Amino acid sequence: MVQETFLAALKGGQSFAGRSAEKSWLVGILKNKICDHFRKASRETSFTDMEFYCDEESDRFIPDGPFQGGWIHELGPLEWSSDPGASLDSHAFWKTFHDCSNKMPKNIATVFTMREVDGVESKEICKLLNISENNLWVMLHRARMALRRCLETNWFGKQT
Amino acid sequence: MKLLEALKMRWIVWAWDHTPNCAEMSRLASLSLDRPPSLKVRLKMRLHYLICVWCERYQKHLTFLHRAAPQLADKLETASQRTLSVEAKQRMVQKLQVAHHR
Repeated sequence: MVQETFLAALKGGQSFAGRSAEKSWLVGILKNKICDHFRKASRETSFTDMEFYCDEESDRFIPDGPFQGGWIHELGPLEWSSDPGASLDSHAFWKTFHDCSNKMPKNIATVFTMREVDGVESKEICKLLNISENNLWVMLHRARMALRRCLETNWFGKQT
Repeated sequence: MKLLEALKMRWIVWAWDHTPNCAEMSRLASLSLDRPPSLKVRLKMRLHYLICVWCERYQKHLTFLHRAAPQLADKLETASQRTLSVEAKQRMVQKLQVAHHR
């Protein structure tokens, strides 16, 4: 973090007005860096495990330009086999499905199982877990996104 | 030919400008499995699918998983109940006996 402070100071050196001592200016930058760090950390952990795809696959969308937020073509969803339904008879498919859902953080997996596997209605889940509907929808969105991606990598992408 | 290309590009840009972007579409695809979207949103989604094969696939995949997921418990149960054939068991017993006598 100290390194980052010096970097920021070098970059913003010109804007230093000389109203205060250099030392207190540097300490000021460091304070901001520390605040940023904890703000970011609390944002990331408030919802789910850090390892989870908490960025909602933002790496797969075009970051800027006129088509911002569009799928990067090479990274977009692939065409699954012509008959994905055939996988449903395969034990290996269900094992992959199970393994993928096990990779989710516990709270997300719980919500996903309740909604998708047990078919509980959204309102019911919110009441049981005492969460808002918006919160539930974000969690389900992340769960489905992660599961789709995991199955594409470990199952459908490997079928010919 | 060039005119056709230009018209196609204009149509894509127009549809893109009038529909949610793909990141937003992926959120809507998930949401519509829990709460039916309004007619306006449904129309916008349809319009977007006309120009974006990736979002169409994404939505298809999500629907597929949504329909498949309720079978998970049953399928895993039958998988754990599956046992080895009698011949396979005998082969294992023989191998163990051979190993034991050595």
